[in-house]
Amino acid sequence: MTSHTDSSAKLLNAVTEGAEKGVIPASIFGDPDLYRQELRNVFGRCWVFLAHESEIPAKGDYVLRKIGEDHFIVVRDDEGEINVLFDACRHRGVQVCRSDSGNTSHFRCPYHGWTYNTKGNLVGAPLWRNAFGGMSKEGNGLASAAKVASYQGLVFGTLDESAPPLKEYLGGMAWYLDLVFGLNEHGVEVLGPPQRFVIDANWKSGAENFSGDDYHLGTLHRSVWEIGAFPVPFHENMMGYHIQASPGHSLSFSMAQDADEPGPNYFGFPDELAQSFNTTNISADQLEVARRSRVFVGNVFPNFSMLALPMTEDGSHHPPVGILTLRTWQPHGPGQVEVWNWFAGYKNLTPEQKDRAYRAGLGTFSMGGAFEVDDTEPWITVSRTGSSTAAKLLDFQLNYEMGKPGVGISKPVKEWPGPGRVQWTRYEEGVQRNLYTFYAEMMRSAPGEWPSLAFGEDAADTGEESQA
Amino acid sequence: MDSTLPRITADTALYAEVLDWIHTEAELLDDLREREWLETMVSRDVTYAVPLRQTVERARGRGFSPDTYHLLETYGSLDSRVTRNETPYAWAEDPPSRIRHFVTNVRARRTDAPDVIAVKSNLLLHRTRQDQSVPQLLSAERHDELRREDGRLMLLRRDVLLDLTVIRTHNLAIFF
Ligand code: FES
Ligand SMILES: [Fe+2]
Repeated sequence: MTSHTDSSAKLLNAVTEGAEKGVIPASIFGDPDLYRQELRNVFGRCWVFLAHESEIPAKGDYVLRKIGEDHFIVVRDDEGEINVLFDACRHRGVQVCRSDSGNTSHFRCPYHGWTYNTKGNLVGAPLWRNAFGGMSKEGNGLASAAKVASYQGLVFGTLDESAPPLKEYLGGMAWYLDLVFGLNEHGVEVLGPPQRFVIDANWKSGAENFSGDDYHLGTLHRSVWEIGAFPVPFHENMMGYHIQASPGHSLSFSMAQDADEPGPNYFGFPDELAQSFNTTNISADQLEVARRSRVFVGNVFPNFSMLALPMTEDGSHHPPVGILTLRTWQPHGPGQVEVWNWFAGYKNLTPEQKDRAYRAGLGTFSMGGAFEVDDTEPWITVSRTGSSTAAKLLDFQLNYEMGKPGVGISKPVKEWPGPGRVQWTRYEEGVQRNLYTFYAEMMRSAPGEWPSLAFGEDAADTGEESQA
Repeated sequence: MDSTLPRITADTALYAEVLDWIHTEAELLDDLREREWLETMVSRDVTYAVPLRQTVERARGRGFSPDTYHLLETYGSLDSRVTRNETPYAWAEDPPSRIRHFVTNVRARRTDAPDVIAVKSNLLLHRTRQDQSVPQLLSAERHDELRREDGRLMLLRRDVLLDLTVIRTHNLAIFF
C-alpha cells in the first residue's frame, strides 16, 4: 500500500467520524487520489442517471451519456427496450457513436467498420470470412452497463452486477420522486437536449447544494429577490422540511403549513395543470405534500439533482410559474465538473405553458440565469481550498453542524406521511451529513458488498413499505 | 442571413454606420456601461438568443437544436439582468470579469424590410476573472438585425452561434 492510498483512507475515516460531529475535511473537494477512488467505488458502482425516456421516444433513438468519465450510448432498440452500451468498439476500443443524439439502426466503427445493432450485437464486419474465418460474432458485441432500469421515466444504469435493484437503491427517495414526476397520468417530458458547461469545481459541491443548501439563498441569491424573480419571501421560504430520504439521498421542501395559505401551491405549476393532478399514480398523502410545496430540491446519490419551484425571468412582465429542471454533476477530474442541465415539464401543459416554463427556467436556473450565475462562484473556490496544501497540512475541517441537536431552531419531525428522517425548518445540514456518511461507506465497501440502504433504527419506514 | 439579399458593401456610408454601431456597442459592453447599452442601442422589441448546440453528423447540419437555448432574452429579461448587476449582490460579475469583445468579418445586407439591416460578424469574447491568467474564450458567429428607430440603429435581433457544444466558462452572466 502506498502512502497515497493511506492518505485517502485517512480522509474517508475523517468523513465518517466528522459527519456525525458536523465537520468534513476540506480535502475531499480536491484530493486526486480520492477522486480516482470515486470513479471506481462511487461512479463505477452506484445507479447513475443517464437520460429521460422522453429523449429517446422512438425505436433507434439514442443519446450519448456518461457514467463517471466514460461514454455510454443510451439507445432504444427495435423491441422498444432501452440499452446502455459502452461506446468502445470490441476490436480496438474505438468510439462508435460520434453524435450527441440521433436515430439509427446500427453503429458503425470508423476504424475497420465493425457494425453493431441497437442491442450492441456485432452484426457485420468487412470481409469477415477472409479476415476472421468462421469466428462467431457472438461475444464480440459492445459491452453493456451491468443493469439498466427506469423510474418515473428517469433512466439509470449501473456498472456493478452486485448493485441492488434501482427501486431498492432509491429507497425512500422514490416516494419523493413520485410526487414531483407522477402527479398525473401523463407524466413529465424533457424540453429539449441538455445544456452542458464545464466548471472548475468538484462534483460534490453540486450534489451537496441540491441535497438542501437553503442557507445560501439569503446571501448568494439575494439579487433574485431584489429583481422580483421569486415570489416567496426569504424567511418564509426557509420554513419547510429537510429530509434524508434514505442513506445518501436527500431533499428539501419549502412548504406552506397549510395549503390554503396564500402563495403558490404545487411548486408554482399552473393552476389549470394542477387540476389534472390526482391519485392515479400516487397516494393522497403524496398529493397533499406536493400541494403544499413551493420549492422542491433534491439529490439522488451520487450526482443526479432536480429542482421544482416558481420562477420568472422578468418579474415586471410575467408572474412566476413552476419550473422543473434536472441535472447531473458529471465528474471531470478532482477540480472539474461538467454540469448537464435539462428543463422538463408535464406532458399535458399547453405549448404556451411549456414555453413560459422553459423561458422562466432558462432565465433563472441555467448558467445564464439570474439564480444560477452566482452558484458556481463559491464552488470554484471550494475546490481551490480542497486541493490546497494548506488544507492538508492544517487538517482543515469545514463546519457542517447546522441542525444538530441544540444547534439552531431546526427540530426532528415525528408526524410526517413519507419515509426518511425529517427536520422542520431548512436551517439544517443533516441532509449534507447524510450525503457524506453514505459517500464514505460507499467508498470503503469492498467490491460485491453494499452499505445498508436503510437507516438502522427506522428501516421499516423507508423503501418498500412506504410504496404500499 | 439570406445570401440573395443585396450586400451593403464596405465603400458605402451605411456600412460605415453599421461598423461604427458595432464598435460603439463593444465599447459600452467592455466598459460595463450595460444600462447605457440597453437604453440607447437595444430595441424594445429585441430577441436575443444563444441557441443550444449538439455534435451531429454533417448530414444533419450544424447541430443547433430547434427551440433550445443557453440564453433567450427579451427587453424585459435583459433589463432584469442589467438591474441585477446594479444590485450589490450580483456576485457572478462583482468584482466584474475583464471582458473584451473582438468583432471581425462584418458583413451587412439589406433585408425585405426597408428599415432593417442584417449583419453577420465573428465574435471572440475574451474573459478573465479575479487572478486567472488563462482566459476563458468564447468564439461565435453573431447574426444581428439592426432596425432604424427614430433615426438611429437599434438591435432588433441577435443570434449568437457558439463554436462550442460544451461551454467552457463558469456562467453566462455576460453580454455577447
Ligand atoms: S477498432 Fe472498431 S473495427 Fe477496428
Ligand atoms: Fe444556489
